[in-house]
Amino acid sequence: MSWGALAADALVVLGVAVMTIGVYGVFRMPDTYTQLHAASKAVVLGVIALLVASLATGDATVVARSALIAVFLIATTPVAAHVIGRAAYLQDERMATPGARDESGHRLTEQPPPPDPDRELESELLSRPSGSP
Amino acid sequence: MHEAVFYGAALWMTGLLVVSVVLVIRARTSLARILALDMTILILVALLVLFSDARRVPYFLDAALMLALLSVIATIAAARYHSEGRLFS
Repeated sequence: MSWGALAADALVVLGVAVMTIGVYGVFRMPDTYTQLHAASKAVVLGVIALLVASLATGDATVVARSALIAVFLIATTPVAAHVIGRAAYLQDERMATPGARDESGHRLTEQPPPPDPDRELESELLSRPSGSP
Repeated sequence: MHEAVFYGAALWMTGLLVVSVVLVIRARTSLARILALDMTILILVALLVLFSDARRVPYFLDAALMLALLSVIATIAAARYHSEGRLFS
């Protein structure tokens, strides 16, 4: 039993635990903005722990490919998370987390008012041009 | 890596894969579905890395690299198309 194998075991268990926390976070968090934290940080860090565990194999081809995948994931995951967050912001997706603060001025923490049929009819009548019947 | 750790981790991550596929199906909004799909592909990459570590074969890692590439491009394209209606501005 070598120290390298033990370290690989510990890293694999750590990575699987962190990925479990990430999946549970995506399951548990109420809106997309907070789900992004779990999906883009926890899961990627779990994958990177598994990639570091492949150092213990000592095989040059495995280690080189693992390093390539790790660098690629670190470089591209923030981009994907940013694009998803920007899409949620552009579509005015509401923040459902208790105590959330929105400093962007779009009032994303407020829930949209429930549709009132009388008010909708009134606004429709008001927006109609005056010349039309 | 010891055999027991490998089998335990492989079984557990297969369970995580099933859970994230359920999350993809049951997502409330389209963006949550895109996010869960991205996470599913990351878990698949981790499973391939685990197999490659245990068998000491580098071929699984080529598939893992291609999956990571395609997942990022697909996520960016889907999110941009969902928010702006077009891919290139």
